[in-house]
Amino acid sequence: MISLKNVSLVFQGGSVAISNISTEIKEGEFVYLVGHSGSGKSSFMKLLYKEYIATKGEIEVANIDVSNLPRWKTPLLRRKIGIVTQEPQLLESRNTFENISFALEIMGNLPEEIETKTNTLLDLVELNDCAFKYPGQLSGGEQTRAIIARALANNPVVLLCDEPTGNLDPDLSIQIISLLEKINRAGTTVLMATHDSSIVNRRKKRIIELKDGKVKRDELNGSYVVR
Amino acid sequence: MGKFSYVLKNTLVNMRRTPLLVFATIIAVLISSFLVFTTLSARSIVQNNTLRWQNGIHVVVFLDDRVTTTAHKQLQTSLESYPEVRTVDYFSKPEAEEEFKNLFRDQPELLAEVDYEILPASLRVNLNDPSNYELITERLEGNPAVKEIRSSGEAIERLLSLTDTLVISASAFALLIGFAAFILIINTLRLAAYSKKKEIKIMRLIGASSTYIRLPFIIEAVIESLIGTSIAVGFGWALIEYSKSSVVADSIFDITISDDYLIFLTISLLMSSIIFGLFASFVGIRKALND
Ligand SMILES: Nc1ncnc2c1ncn2[C@@H]1O[C@H](COP(=O)(O)OP(=O)(O)OP(=O)(O)O)[C@@H](O)[C@H]1O
Ligand SMILES: [Mg+2]
Repeated sequence: MISLKNVSLVFQGGSVAISNISTEIKEGEFVYLVGHSGSGKSSFMKLLYKEYIATKGEIEVANIDVSNLPRWKTPLLRRKIGIVTQEPQLLESRNTFENISFALEIMGNLPEEIETKTNTLLDLVELNDCAFKYPGQLSGGEQTRAIIARALANNPVVLLCDEPTGNLDPDLSIQIISLLEKINRAGTTVLMATHDSSIVNRRKKRIIELKDGKVKRDELNGSYVVR
Repeated sequence: MGKFSYVLKNTLVNMRRTPLLVFATIIAVLISSFLVFTTLSARSIVQNNTLRWQNGIHVVVFLDDRVTTTAHKQLQTSLESYPEVRTVDYFSKPEAEEEFKNLFRDQPELLAEVDYEILPASLRVNLNDPSNYELITERLEGNPAVKEIRSSGEAIERLLSLTDTLVISASAFALLIGFAAFILIINTLRLAAYSKKKEIKIMRLIGASSTYIRLPFIIEAVIESLIGTSIAVGFGWALIEYSKSSVVADSIFDITISDDYLIFLTISLLMSSIIFGLFASFVGIRKALND
């Protein structure tokens, strides 16, 4: 599903975000991407959806050769990926329902389809009661769930979540994790970046740890301890 | 279908966000298109008139009242024998009176005051090449039967050069205002794109194509430019209709402009305004979305 071969990302000015990483994530896997701040987690994710372009190496996502994908085809790649970025991405002028249906709208779904699909997504993330609230009226956890729902709108095969539990207390974090696991069980490959060791350790999932842009550790059923 | 309604809806939302800029843009396009429309029409009208004059009478030889019939016949024959002359028509005193009455039929006060005796008979000369009018003047120099010679050549030359100056300066002005309209469109789009920065970012993440993201901006520019030009063309047609019925048009100048030409002008302007909008949005969005 996701494969990297000798991938490096060096920014203009010489700061190295990713340094010669090779790894593979299979269809249906749930993977935590962990590491200190600045270790390259976000950069790793951005390479996968071609927000950043690798300086070196080969990347493949959902059978698309990302490294050799022409720029104008980037949208085709992104339609296969659900993306939850580290920065909150809800439109303040739209309510929860509209924020989710927005994704369906721009992909050209019919109005009836949009209505039913959005309601299904609201069900999935348990936000039915918040459908007509605006982002300012939502808690942090609710906002995150709304963003996840939107990322799922076009049935992606991979879901990338960059620090979805970043500003949430432990209980809410667990809620989000459970949601992502539910999504994963339904067949979507999930890659989640976090520095929150307390959650990761108990979930018994694959963990890839980054340090200075390199893979420091990669284990199944791993646990992560901040050192 | 869903996509299309999204695009249209967004175009309108964008335009509502910056009403003053949209208004200014439309006005600038309007003025520019109006200038182009009216000057080109005016040029066509002048051309039509000069054509008519050129096909008509080029030199009028007014005859002395004391001239005898034989003398004027003689003069006519010798005029007809000149190689540069195509036709010569005799226009008698009663005919001159008739023409005068017809020309100023709307001004009875004037007609009442005129002593028709002073209107002379004349020979109206049509030349093969209208620019040769000076030849006739030279040939008839000092002929006692001739009271006065008038030619339309000089006047036409002056009028044509005046029109050309008018067209050139108006075009320069239209270009300047067109450029202002261009800058305004770019700024309108940039503001609209800026206020939708987050939305555009999300659209990109979801996988909207860049054409799709651009479409509302492109349509906005084309709509603004089309509205401006349409109003301008409307004003232009109205102005021409109005001048057709005005007094000036009746006597000195004939407001003749073919409908075909007006339609051609209208369609060309509308097409240009679409191309203008496309081009402006192309430049504007490149700057605004920087990609
Ligand atoms: N656009 C950029 N230009 C230059 N350097 C960058 C850019 N983006 C990231 N970096 C650098 O690359 C390195 C990795 O950054 P990245 O955002 O991937 O870290 P992270 O693991 O996501 O950190 P955090 O946990 O704080 O989100 C950092 O040193 C950062 O300064
Ligand atoms: Mg990060």
